[in-house]
Amino acid sequence: MKTFSSTHAMEAAVAAIKEVQPGRQDDDPSFGPRVVPGELRGWLARLRLLQGVPFSYLVPDAELLPRESIRFFYLDRAWTDALVQGALSVGTVNSSDRAELAALYARVRDEVDEEERRVRLPGGEKVQQGAAGAVSGFVLRSRAVSGWPGLHVRAYDRELGGPDAAQIPESDPRRMKLLRMERLAPAVMLVLFDGVPAVVHIEEPRQGIQFGVRLKPMSTGTGTDPNNLQALTKPRNALTGEDVNTNDNDMVAVPCRPGTPGVLDIAKLNEALRVRADTHMGAAVDSAEFALQMLRFPYRQVFGDPSVNASPPMVDVFRPTISLKVLKQSFLQS
Amino acid sequence: MPPPTLVTTGHFILRPMANPPLKAGDYTLTGAVDVNKADDTPVGAVQAQATHLRISSPRFQLPPEQLLSCFPPANSEGAYENRLPQIVLKRRTLPWEREPAPGATTTPWLALVVIAEGEAALSGDTPVAGCVTPGVVLTGPSDVATGNYLSVTRTVIDKVFPKKEELALLCHVREVDVNDTELANGDDDGFLATVIANRLPQFDRTNNKPVRYMACLINVEGQLEELAKPPPPVVGFHALAEVFDYRAMAVPSGDPDRLVMGTVASAKPVVAVRSRAAPGGSVAAARIDKVAAAAPAPSSSKHSSGAASQWQTTTQRIEQVALTASENEAGRLVRDVMLEGYRGNLEHLITLERTYRFPVLQHWSFTVSGSGGFESLMRGLDVGLLGTAPEVHPPPPGAPPKPAEPRPAPEFTETGHVGLPHLTRRGDRVRAWYRGPLGSFPTTRDAPDVQGRLPLAHVSDQLRRSVPDGREDLSLAAAFEIGRLLALSQPSVVRALLAWRAEQFGASRAAQILGLLKDAPKIGALLKNAKNGLAELLSRHLVLSAAEKPGKVLAPTRPVVDPGRELPYAKEGGLDKLISEGFGFSAAQVGKLRQGIGTVAALQRTEVPVVSTAQDGPVLRGAEADRLRAGLDAAVDRLTANSIGQQVPGGGLTHGLSDLTHVTVGLGGPRGRRRNASTERAPDALDDLLARASARKGRMPESK
Repeated sequence: MKTFSSTHAMEAAVAAIKEVQPGRQDDDPSFGPRVVPGELRGWLARLRLLQGVPFSYLVPDAELLPRESIRFFYLDRAWTDALVQGALSVGTVNSSDRAELAALYARVRDEVDEEERRVRLPGGEKVQQGAAGAVSGFVLRSRAVSGWPGLHVRAYDRELGGPDAAQIPESDPRRMKLLRMERLAPAVMLVLFDGVPAVVHIEEPRQGIQFGVRLKPMSTGTGTDPNNLQALTKPRNALTGEDVNTNDNDMVAVPCRPGTPGVLDIAKLNEALRVRADTHMGAAVDSAEFALQMLRFPYRQVFGDPSVNASPPMVDVFRPTISLKVLKQSFLQS
Repeated sequence: MPPPTLVTTGHFILRPMANPPLKAGDYTLTGAVDVNKADDTPVGAVQAQATHLRISSPRFQLPPEQLLSCFPPANSEGAYENRLPQIVLKRRTLPWEREPAPGATTTPWLALVVIAEGEAALSGDTPVAGCVTPGVVLTGPSDVATGNYLSVTRTVIDKVFPKKEELALLCHVREVDVNDTELANGDDDGFLATVIANRLPQFDRTNNKPVRYMACLINVEGQLEELAKPPPPVVGFHALAEVFDYRAMAVPSGDPDRLVMGTVASAKPVVAVRSRAAPGGSVAAARIDKVAAAAPAPSSSKHSSGAASQWQTTTQRIEQVALTASENEAGRLVRDVMLEGYRGNLEHLITLERTYRFPVLQHWSFTVSGSGGFESLMRGLDVGLLGTAPEVHPPPPGAPPKPAEPRPAPEFTETGHVGLPHLTRRGDRVRAWYRGPLGSFPTTRDAPDVQGRLPLAHVSDQLRRSVPDGREDLSLAAAFEIGRLLALSQPSVVRALLAWRAEQFGASRAAQILGLLKDAPKIGALLKNAKNGLAELLSRHLVLSAAEKPGKVLAPTRPVVDPGRELPYAKEGGLDKLISEGFGFSAAQVGKLRQGIGTVAALQRTEVPVVSTAQDGPVLRGAEADRLRAGLDAAVDRLTANSIGQQVPGGGLTHGLSDLTHVTVGLGGPRGRRRNASTERAPDALDDLLARASARKGRMPESK
């Protein structure tokens, strides 16, 4: 009979506890072992990005977001941490649970910070790693959100030179990653950036490239009826796809069908474009060349463009009804 | 055409056409083999082998999987007036898979037409033979049994439809990179066919009214020659120019003015005369125009306002139907509501000119609700930091003073806090400060202390902050609470949290215990005697040591039975005392009687003293008493009024819900007596009261 020594007992005990250990750490494929289980980490990170938080908690007063407005903000990390603490409090029953959670909380917070960047990952992009920093964003309430589903939002930490059409991948260091971009209501969009951008671009959706003209009011001599319109289009060089020149007045008038609102005479327009030598369109114009002429490039609105206004006065962009001075006075009085 | 190049992300190549080598239809493939000798002298031919081949293609209905996207989005509202509507199809050859006319191999058979309300009528499901203009026969197989058709007059064709030679210009093929999510949008091969419309949907600037349009992808097969033959083009257009509105002819004679003035009569012959022969489209159009000018048809502004009011309901109704209809029915119902403004039997109304039918493969409606488009919307945005109050525009001089706001002025502080009404737990209505997660300046997070720990709140009250002005700052407490509620609202999250706690925290506890055991010196000696392992040893020692000092290890023992509570009336004579005190007679008398006949009989025989009054009538007299009595009568009347009619034979009352409420409220006030609704019982004092009240109620008219 084998004598049972203390060493054996220790080994047995350690082996028994080791069996529990795999559950102790969640092995994440891209981050390595982590304390918080993966599903919980993902959920907490989504919560941290305000998913599911009722809109009235985000914008407590409707007057803070009037129609046709965009409001930029910094995300209050203390608020979102409180949100996560509330969610974590669900599992605590007794004081030992709470003591253990309090000891672990710093690691939980770090792991959720890390996970935050993985919530929205466009295809083919890598997860960004690094310490969690400030998060900013904007809420946009406009008909542009409801009428143009799939807007493109891009943020950069500096004004980019270079051509407008340049493709900058999300992983580019100059580009701020989008943590969240969601339509909260048909006409309300919430966007969160991983950082504080210097320049924000909002662009018309590119899906389904659009075709169209430029409309201009036309004076008929009898008066100014805003419904009298003239359609114009800027000719393009069929060989390069670029505009023939940069002169805004050098446009081709689009022939219209008499007596009908908005119906264009496509054949005659084509003829008018073809006779211009600088369009380099062949004798038999095909539909591809015609489509090129009618193509409308998506409009891009730039916020924070330094060429327009270096830094607008604070009073233009932030108008609280109670100033800090008044608030201080009310504090001192009471 | 430039040499084919590889498309890269963000770029695309436009191609004029993707013409399939074989158009849709039935084909016979004949194979013939001639057999020759070695010196090429023919021996004979093998019998020809014929194989039948059908190339199928959509004809009356666009398969849903072929549609990639459409612009403007279906049932959307927006400023689309400088954009041509378009539809993008996944199969690049689709617009060229059929011949619109024999031999027209390079002309597309599809056209996208955009029509405003009233310009044409869209049918419901019709057998495909009826989907084309009578007289036109489409040979060959059809893809579906029933389809929709657009019924349209010559005038509208000439004014709105594309010309024959324009069809080819309005269709092209686009080649994009399949991995380009922005451009390919989920296509499988990266080749897309696009059909563009030739009409810019217009907004009513004069009346500032939205205008609803319907875009229809039509099949022009067999009717290529019927397409628009418009007059020469001009420069510019009027956005409100009236095209045609069949609804004007279907106006019911509900307008009294028109009836009185007799103008209906002049309009009627137009509808009644069935002259089929109207070959010259422009002539017919001119005649229609004249009739429209003669008859006081609703003016165009009146029209658009009608369309606008209808639009308001239509868009909402479409959304409503889309949200509420059952899954199987949703598609049909949504399309049905979308037809609003395009319904009606055009062919019965229009008799002066020819009407045509075009099969509709796909249709969707949208509303132009503003001018300018995306650019003007983005330029017009009010830019600011969150926490900015909306700009107050001073009223123009001479304007009437604005009515007082129904709510107090908003409190937006420079710190980003918002003053909100707050109902405290004690029910006080106060105001509190709240700042949401979206602030107007950067904030700091809690930093870990020397031990690397962070403060952690366990209940939301730990995060309430009081502010010098006496209000509370509930920002973080509200965040904590909504986080807790969101976690609780999802059972999977609750389960994950509990499992995490149970498994992993349990494991860490075990590891800690192990660490303690390692350092304990006594354990080694103990383990030497262990035979069946550590677990048994530990459990035996635990049980034994617990059994030695149960009072210390577990808890002091508790007596098996608690002494009962003393019952004061169980003593001799106690019950008698209670009863006699209650009824006001002598306990000694009952005690004496009981000796012989027992308690119950003794109680029954004992006289209960009753206070008697000297007179029969009411104690109170005079005007005061009359007033009280009148008040009582009125109250009884009111409370019993509804019960009276519900008496059933046998004296009981039917106690329905309404009855019960009356009785409850009437008799007991807040602590009303509740009666068992089903028990039958003899009439009691209340019933008498009710009977009296009903008698009085009957007399009421005379007494007044």
